[in-house]
Amino acid sequence: MEIWGHINTFFSAENYTLFVVSIASGILCFAAGVVGTFTYLRKRALIGDVISHSVLPGVAIAFMLTGVKNPVYFLIGAITSGLLSIWIVDYVQAKSKLKPDTILALTLSVFFGVGIVFLTDIQHSENAAQSGLDSFLFGKAASMGMLDIQLFSVIAIINVVCIAIFLRGFSLISFDENYAKGIGIKVSFLKSFLAVLTVITVAIGVQAVGVVLMAALLITPAAGARFLTNDIKKMLLYAGSFGFASGVIGVFISYSGTGMPTGPWIVVVLSLFALVAIIFGKEKGMYSRMKMRVSNNVKINNENVLKDIYKLAQDGENTITINDLIEKEKYPPSKLKSILKRLERDRHIDQVRGFVILSDNGRIAARAVIRKHRLWEIYLSKYFQLEEDHVHDDAEGIEHVITPEIEKHLIKLLDRPETDPHQSEIPY
Amino acid sequence: MSNTIIEAHNLTVLYGRKPALWNIDFELPDKQVIGIMGPNGSGKSTLLKAIMGVVEPTSGFTKVYDDELNNVRDKVSYVPQRQDIDWDFPANVWDIVAMGRYQKRGLFKKLTTEDNEIVTDSLEKVNMLGYAKRQISQLSGGQQQRVFLARAIAQQGDLFLMDEPFAGVDIATEEMIISLLKTMKDAGKTLVIVHHDLHTAESYFDHLVLLNTRLIASGPTSEVFTDKILTDTYGGRLTTISKISQELENKEFPIRHK
Repeated sequence: MEIWGHINTFFSAENYTLFVVSIASGILCFAAGVVGTFTYLRKRALIGDVISHSVLPGVAIAFMLTGVKNPVYFLIGAITSGLLSIWIVDYVQAKSKLKPDTILALTLSVFFGVGIVFLTDIQHSENAAQSGLDSFLFGKAASMGMLDIQLFSVIAIINVVCIAIFLRGFSLISFDENYAKGIGIKVSFLKSFLAVLTVITVAIGVQAVGVVLMAALLITPAAGARFLTNDIKKMLLYAGSFGFASGVIGVFISYSGTGMPTGPWIVVVLSLFALVAIIFGKEKGMYSRMKMRVSNNVKINNENVLKDIYKLAQDGENTITINDLIEKEKYPPSKLKSILKRLERDRHIDQVRGFVILSDNGRIAARAVIRKHRLWEIYLSKYFQLEEDHVHDDAEGIEHVITPEIEKHLIKLLDRPETDPHQSEIPY
Repeated sequence: MSNTIIEAHNLTVLYGRKPALWNIDFELPDKQVIGIMGPNGSGKSTLLKAIMGVVEPTSGFTKVYDDELNNVRDKVSYVPQRQDIDWDFPANVWDIVAMGRYQKRGLFKKLTTEDNEIVTDSLEKVNMLGYAKRQISQLSGGQQQRVFLARAIAQQGDLFLMDEPFAGVDIATEEMIISLLKTMKDAGKTLVIVHHDLHTAESYFDHLVLLNTRLIASGPTSEVFTDKILTDTYGGRLTTISKISQELENKEFPIRHK
């Protein structure tokens, strides 16, 4: 088994460094997911992109000034130019009549362009240490040195701790900045602090996945996590976990093949996590919404057939057969049979020798549907001046939608009516 | 005899070059229900935000309880405009109302049992206790408004500033808010409410502030709710003000020559 071989080598002592790299990359992506949750909630997704492209000139200038490849200098350069980019975006927004998206796009491209010019200049220079600087474009997680790893992990952890401490403040300014100001919270401090944390995270995240993919590291985990929960603490946890898992798995995959890029793999894994969350997330996920629609259809079919059986029985038909029902509802026989099977399982009907017999439960359920139907007809004709021959079709659909709560409300509103607009009695 | 609770002096707020509020002066009495009215874009919300310190005045100032807002903030409860907010935020009703206690507890202190009781009590006052665990994205407009009211009540202030609490709410909520306002007034609270519906103004408010970028009138409803003042506020003659504002913005004139 090749995979197991890989996993064994992965965890063996010789691969200690790789093990550390994958964990470090996981911590980095965890921090990005957590910080990025607020970027996402504050609808600043594009700001993430601006910052990540804007760290490039800072890194290049740090190298030009010092002439050495030291992660501390790079980090200082990256953070400085990242913060400068945010400041420029805010300043231009306040002072000019440019639209926000224009400002973001311009800032991003100007910083990135300048960064590339500097990098090219460095590569053409004589400095022997310059090789590998271009890894900032696409990341270099798998080839990070021990110093990088320790530095980045420590900063990422500090970052996460700060967010845990300031969770209340950051939630407040993300939900309702005006209110936060109104109750005397130091909003501008919190905003700047969050911006600094975001820039720091981006500055170290860029080392793992590169400037081009960094925005994905911030936003994708939060976008996926939002589909899984409605609780901000859980959302932060999920986003962080998606990040961590993707960081570790991405490094592992890129190690298992020769010449596989780390950063892109991290982002691919992350996107898969998010995709699964978007499809299978409870309530908001595509799958659960599809399931809900299916179960609505089942309810509609069940109730319609039940109503037919009840009406046939009311009309004095003692021997109801499947053919009687096919005539009424125009369902194909196979579909009708499966509906009847479901109704039998729910103990609403019994099927004896080809005849359909309504049970007591079934009678109660059928009367409830008819009651809702007729209540809705009265409601429409009373409040919307609809003619009595116009209300039936509408009620055919809405009878399945009315909840017990709404039914109670309707009965109260209509003062417990006895008959519907067609003078049919309402079965209570 | 009532005392002055809010005063504004030469209050001017510019957005860019365009005045949202222009040389506003007024004093508002306490223990009353006060309406702030005017056409769209007349600066009603800006006035509330200036009093709450949410926007900085370009010149002039406001005082609350004859003091700077920062010294008396714990007496002031704020209900921002519901429509300004994205309600698809991961939080439930309880979380939002609990924000009303953050003024007292700050950013770090844990909420106490007492705080939780206050939150419960506030939710009960707006008939939303049954929805405490409900996601805020699932609320109707009226329910969202009740949640914001509950949050303000949880602040336990004496002065309530409410931005359009009646906008886009159902009749049941409107009636509930009205009866709540009466109860609060009887308990000695002062309520300042941005409102846009002229039909209900007379019955809701004891005192009215009529705005159209500049102050048109401020006084007891019986005195200022007159045809003349309403025409001045909403009528055509004041579009001159908006034409001037537009000139100031487009040609970047200063509103005052120093």
